[in-house]
Amino acid sequence: MNMDSRAMEAVNSEQGRIWKRFKKQWMLHLFVGIGMIFLIVFSYTPMFGIIMAFKNYTISEGIIGIFTSEWVGLKHFDEFINDYQFGTIVRNTLALSLLKVLFTFPAPILLAILLNEVKNGAFKRFAQTVSYLPHFISWVVVVGISFAFLSTDIGLVNKALLRLGLIDMPLDILTNPDYFWGLAVGSAVWKEMGWWTIIFLAAITGINPSLYEAAKIDGAGRLARIRHITLPGMQGTIVVVLILTIGSILGGGLVGSNFEQAFLFGNSINNPTSEIVQTYAFKVGLKDGRFSYAAAIDLIQSVISVALIFSSNYIAKRISGSGLF
Amino acid sequence: MNVSQRKKDLVMDSVVTVILLVIMLAMLYPFYYVLILSFNKGTDSLLGGIYFWPRNVTFENYAAFLNDPQWYKAFLVTVVRTISGSALGVLLTCLVAYGLSHRELLFSKFYFTMIIFAMYFSGGLIPYYVVLRSVGLLNSFGVYIIPSMLSTFFLLIAISFFREIPGELKESAYMDGANEFVTFYRIILPVSMPLIATMALFMGVGQWNSWVDSAYFVQSDNLRTLAYRMMEVINKSNAPMDAVGAANSASSGVTSYSLQLSAMVVSIAPIVCVYPFLQRFFIHGIMLGSVKG
Repeated sequence: MNMDSRAMEAVNSEQGRIWKRFKKQWMLHLFVGIGMIFLIVFSYTPMFGIIMAFKNYTISEGIIGIFTSEWVGLKHFDEFINDYQFGTIVRNTLALSLLKVLFTFPAPILLAILLNEVKNGAFKRFAQTVSYLPHFISWVVVVGISFAFLSTDIGLVNKALLRLGLIDMPLDILTNPDYFWGLAVGSAVWKEMGWWTIIFLAAITGINPSLYEAAKIDGAGRLARIRHITLPGMQGTIVVVLILTIGSILGGGLVGSNFEQAFLFGNSINNPTSEIVQTYAFKVGLKDGRFSYAAAIDLIQSVISVALIFSSNYIAKRISGSGLF
Repeated sequence: MNVSQRKKDLVMDSVVTVILLVIMLAMLYPFYYVLILSFNKGTDSLLGGIYFWPRNVTFENYAAFLNDPQWYKAFLVTVVRTISGSALGVLLTCLVAYGLSHRELLFSKFYFTMIIFAMYFSGGLIPYYVVLRSVGLLNSFGVYIIPSMLSTFFLLIAISFFREIPGELKESAYMDGANEFVTFYRIILPVSMPLIATMALFMGVGQWNSWVDSAYFVQSDNLRTLAYRMMEVINKSNAPMDAVGAANSASSGVTSYSLQLSAMVVSIAPIVCVYPFLQRFFIHGIMLGSVKG
C-alpha cells in the first residue's frame, strides 16, 4: 500500500514535469501539429485507403465508402493478372526501369570524371552549368523539343537526313514501338546526366590531393590515376546513389518519372512498348473510374518498390558496411 | 615530365575538351533551335532547313500566344500558382521545421518517425485522389498549392539549417518577452535567407513545370497550367500531320506548332535566368537529401 502510493507519486510528478514542459513549449507543438495534420491528411489517410484494393469501391461512396464497401478479397488482383495486357505491361515497366538505370547511372559518373580532368576552371564551371540546365526543364518541354527534332513531318533530324539523301523515308522514332525504350533512355540521359554529375563531382573534390601527387611521383599516368584514385574515391557516393536508384527504380529511378515519359512519349502506335503499370492504372482508374481495380494495380507496384528499397539497402549493408537506414 | 608523357597529356586534354564540347552542344542547341523557330514565321518553319538563325523573322507567334485566351489564362494560372505555392510552401515548411529544430521538444521521436515514414511510403494515386475529393480540393486552384505545402524533403534540410543558428539569438528574443512565433518571424526567418531562397526557387521550379496535378485532379478549363496546355498540344499532334500543319487562321503565318514553340520559350526563359544562381546551394541540398531521404 505504502509502496504503491509512493510509486504513484513518482509517476504523478513525472507526468507533472512532462506537462510543465509541454505547457512551456505548447506553441512549438502547435507549429509541428499543423505539419502533422498535413501528413495525416495527404500521406497517411491515402495509405489506409489502400484497403480499397480488396473491396468493391465506387467513388460515389465518398471517403467513408472505403471502409464500408464490400470486401472482395483478391478479385482485382486476379483480374489484372489475367488481363490480356498484363504480360506486356509488366514487361514494359521492367524493361524501361532496368534500361534507364543501366544507362543513366554510369553517365554522370563518366561526366564527372571528364570534368575533373579539365584544368581550366572557368571552362569546367561553364560546362557543368550547361550540363544540368535540362534538369530544370519540365518533361513536357523536353518532349516538345523531341518533336521539333524527331517528328516525321517537321523534325529537324528527319528533314536534314532526307536532304542529305541518307534516308528515303523519315524515321518514325516517336511512333515506332521499336524505338520507344531507346527514346525514353536517351531523353532521360540528356535531361538528368548533368544534375547527378554534381554529386559525383563533389565526391571527387573530397579526395585528398596528396594522393594524386604521390601517384604522379610513382609514375602513374592520368588514366591510371583515374582508375586507382578517382574511382575508388567516389565509391561511397556511388553506393548511396545506387541504393536510392534501385529503391525508386519502378518509378523511373532518380532520373525522372517513368509515368511522365510513358505518358508524354506514348501514343496509340507505340503503345505496345510504352504502356506501363502507372499509365495503365491512370487510364483504368481516373479515366474509366474503376478505383478499386486501379488501386490494386498501384499496390502491386508499391509492394515491389518497398521490397526493392529494403533489399538494396540490405545488400549495401552487407557489401560496404553502411546503408541508408 | 618527359616528352612522350607530355604528348599523351596533350592528347588526353584534347579528347576531354572535344567530348565536353560535344556534350555542351547537345545540351544547348535544342534550346537554341526552339528559340530561333519561335521567332520564325510558323508556316515557313514547316519547310525545314532552319539551323542557325530564323529565316523569316516575326513576333507574331508571341503575339498569338498573348492573344489566345487559353494560353494566356494558362500562363496566368501558372504564374499565380508558382508565386503563391512557393511562398506558402516555404512558410509552412519553415514553421514546422522551426518547431522540430528544438532538441528539447517532447515527442520529437514520434514526430520524426511520422515524417520519415511518410517519405518512404505512400498510398498511391487512387486513394490520394479520393482524399482530395473528400476534402473538396478536386477541381480547385487549391489542389496546386495546399497538398504540396509541406515538403518533407525540405523539412529535413530546414531543421538542420535552424539547428546551426546560434542559440544566443533565440535567447535574447525570449528575454525580451517574445513568444515562439515572434521569435520565428522576427529572428529566425531573417537570418535564414539563403535557405529560404533555395527552397523558394526549387519549389517555384516545381510549381512552374507541373502538369500532372492539372491532368489528374482538375477538369475546369480555367485552371489549366502552361505545362498542361503544352502537353495537350503534344498529345494532339501524335497523329502525324494533324494539329502540326494546320494554320491557326488562313491569313496568319502562325501554326499551332509555332504557337507551341513560343509557349515553350515562355516556359523555359525564367528557368534559364534563375538556375545558374542556385548552384552553390545544390551540393549541400542533394547530399543531405540523399543521405536522409
